[in-house]
Amino acid sequence: MTATLLELRNVVRTYSKGGLFGKSARAVDDVSFEVGVNGPEILAIIGESGSGKTTLARMILGTVRASGGSIRFKDIDMAQVKSRSQRMAFMRQVQPIFQNPFEAFNPLKRLDRYLLATARHFADARTDEAAAAASDAALRKVGLSMVEVKGRFPHEMSGGQLQRVAIARALIASPLLLVADEPVSMVDASLRTAIVNLFKKLRDELGVSIIYITHDLATAYSISDRVVIMRRGVVVEAGDARATLDNPQHPYSIELKSAVLSPNMSPEVAPELASAPSLTTYTQE
Amino acid sequence: MLKIIRDLLLHNRGFAAGVFLLGFVLVIAALSFVSPYNPLDSYVVPPDMPPGWPHILGTTSRGQDVFWMLSFAIRNTLAFGLLVALISRVLSLVIGLVAGYAGGWVDRVLMSINDTFIVIPLFPILVLFYFVMRDKMSWAALAGVMACLGWAYDARLIRSVAMSLRTREFTETSIFSGMSMPQILVKEHLPYVMPIVFSTTMNNINWSIGLEVTLSVLGFTDINTPTIGSMIYWANQHTAMVAGVWWWIAFPVALVIMTFIGLFLLAVSMNEFIDPRSRLGRGGE
Amino acid sequence: MTTETSSPQARPVVEVSRLRAYYQTQQFGVQRDVRAVDDVSLKVMPDEIYGLAGESSCGKSTLIKTIAGAIRPPLKVQGGSVVFNFGGRDLNLYQSGPEALDAIRWKHLSYVMQGSMGVLNPVRRVKHSFVDFAYRHIGKPMPEFMEVVRHHLGRVHLGSEVLQAYPHELSGGMRQRLAIALATVCKPELIIADEPTTALDVIVQKGVLGMIREVQRELKTSMIFVTHDMAVHAHLCDRLGVMYAGRLIEEGATRDIFSRPRHPYTTHLIASLPRIGSTVSVKALEGAPPNLADPPKGCRFHPRCPLAMDICKQQTPAFAEVAPGHRVACFAVNPVAVAAPLEATT
Repeated sequence: MTATLLELRNVVRTYSKGGLFGKSARAVDDVSFEVGVNGPEILAIIGESGSGKTTLARMILGTVRASGGSIRFKDIDMAQVKSRSQRMAFMRQVQPIFQNPFEAFNPLKRLDRYLLATARHFADARTDEAAAAASDAALRKVGLSMVEVKGRFPHEMSGGQLQRVAIARALIASPLLLVADEPVSMVDASLRTAIVNLFKKLRDELGVSIIYITHDLATAYSISDRVVIMRRGVVVEAGDARATLDNPQHPYSIELKSAVLSPNMSPEVAPELASAPSLTTYTQE
Repeated sequence: MLKIIRDLLLHNRGFAAGVFLLGFVLVIAALSFVSPYNPLDSYVVPPDMPPGWPHILGTTSRGQDVFWMLSFAIRNTLAFGLLVALISRVLSLVIGLVAGYAGGWVDRVLMSINDTFIVIPLFPILVLFYFVMRDKMSWAALAGVMACLGWAYDARLIRSVAMSLRTREFTETSIFSGMSMPQILVKEHLPYVMPIVFSTTMNNINWSIGLEVTLSVLGFTDINTPTIGSMIYWANQHTAMVAGVWWWIAFPVALVIMTFIGLFLLAVSMNEFIDPRSRLGRGGE
Repeated sequence: MTTETSSPQARPVVEVSRLRAYYQTQQFGVQRDVRAVDDVSLKVMPDEIYGLAGESSCGKSTLIKTIAGAIRPPLKVQGGSVVFNFGGRDLNLYQSGPEALDAIRWKHLSYVMQGSMGVLNPVRRVKHSFVDFAYRHIGKPMPEFMEVVRHHLGRVHLGSEVLQAYPHELSGGMRQRLAIALATVCKPELIIADEPTTALDVIVQKGVLGMIREVQRELKTSMIFVTHDMAVHAHLCDRLGVMYAGRLIEEGATRDIFSRPRHPYTTHLIASLPRIGSTVSVKALEGAPPNLADPPKGCRFHPRCPLAMDICKQQTPAFAEVAPGHRVACFAVNPVAVAAPLEATT
């Protein structure tokens, strides 16, 4: 019986909106869910801007502290993880993947730096050769190799390649959980499928659970096991991926699904756009 | 590196001019090592002689050769300026980077100290320092005090760069690669901060030389050591302008102005080169 | 919507011929030409939405900047022409002075760019932006001008209280609709839109796209709509041009391109679009788009093309018609058409 990998209970994150009386707002409001209850899985968190999904990711990664509720990773309360050694132990098991592949690495530095550093700190590589070998192994898992990456700067590679390097770097630590915040939204459409399929491979072959944060329903549908739909910091619907997305129940989920433009529709059916729903409900915040 | 300097020399007129001026000044400073006269001696040559041969810049009312005095003067003045700049750069870098990265109370404490130093009026403090120390005042002590007064502005500048770098995603990547804070500050953030450090160094050298000249002209330093300021001090003591011995004042002033312009041109032209945005354009060299 | 019965004499609103625009950078004596737009020819007819598709660094943004006349060094036009036809009068953009562009700007040619915040002055109320942009073109006294503006805002489903607001008080969707209102208030013949809905949420995007369609139908403006999102093209554009590495490689009616793409790159683009409800994965295309400072010889797609032949590596395929209104630049589709050589750089 495997312990739940990640458990969120009533997590809240407030921030103050300024003003004389310090009005506060909740970026994340009473969110609860679990990851990895029955083994490795891909959980998609779907939401638009302002839904709180990025704040949630940061709390899971430990970059930002929750204002209320609890986040437990393998039964360790995140609020208790304070010292450097505790943080290092945590980072060995949980790694991030960011939205903008060009920002994920320092533009002035060579890429292999990060791979080698991760190998030295989290993969117990004692020598440069061991670090290089560990990096090469990880790169091969994503379809690249050290030869292609060694000595390169970020701007010499495409967005898709960079994102794969970022995934490889995260894998060097052999983590149990990857938190990917919109990992393909800045990658060309034709490369997205490749990266998203890579996530599937990681779950199936390496047993890595992935929290896949996105606003793209189509990719969420194709690779996730379960989905959580968020709006304005609150979870509006959650459940099995295909069941929920085939048949959404909450009005917002239905709205979201109908707004997705499918390339299957030909322009003759454009009249459906003429009856766009009233924009006042969702645009006047 | 050499190739870059050669390219700059060939294509950037500002850089070439700056190098030329500064080179000229440095040559004169270097000549002090082969001076036939000891700068502390007086009345070794006929006084008040206008520029001619063998005293190409004339002689002072104290019987010293202006040219050879000048070589010592500019050497000491430059050395002083460099020393102050070096110490204060180190101070502002350390304080600025740590405050910007750490945030929280560390930042608040450091910035309170910083702001105190900004507000302190420099000139009265230095004069006070002289009056307290009198004959025990040494150049090293003066350099130390000036350095302590000169780091505050730039520390804030560096802090703001550090703060913005802290929120960039590659800093997160570095953290999740296991790098420690000192490592991140030096390896990742320093390259972004260097342009500020470099141009403020030039400013700082100019500032400290200017302050030294001011203090010396007014007699608030050890006026027996030959510096640009002390030369002017002695010239004033002997009412050189009224007596028509214009070369005693004109040449030191001309040389120090050349130094200022040379440093300024170097700073401005190097800046464009070191700026990370233009470095990105050249591929991170 | 272009009707088949439009008269054959209808002049295109804009005609781009063999346009070349490069970024010329010079660092330390070494000159580099980034060939962002390399021999592009296209026409946009009246009352039509022309979509420009392509992935990152294909040159589409540079192309529309060049068409809009928003060229600044190091971007420089090397050859070719951009000719507008407004109200029966021709205007060759790069052979006329800045006053010519000034005369057509906003009245006949307007833009909607990606960041709407950039268009609206953040420290002034919205109504001042309208006055700044459109007042002198409409040429009516102020009260009547404001009436025109209010009526126009209604067309984009915005109430007139928006005029008194500051830009930051409005949501992203409202600002983008405002940008569209600004661009259309003078009823120009041509609107150039660069990724106007990319930064918007899916739900808001749907509404904005619907509104763009409505406004276009009513005012009969032509539009050049640039986005990398093929699904948006499917829903909005009458005709579509696909760019790769600075060149147009396929162009035709949207439904033709989606139902029967000819060029291997277009085929891959359309096949790899994720569709909700499908779990099928598509094999990714190897490699990456070429470096435009040093593009491959011949057809620029040949290093990644599954159908590449010897001729593709040596000659550039001509962008020629393979069916009425459908042009493709590919030797596999059109074995004999070779591109005419470029004229010498001016």
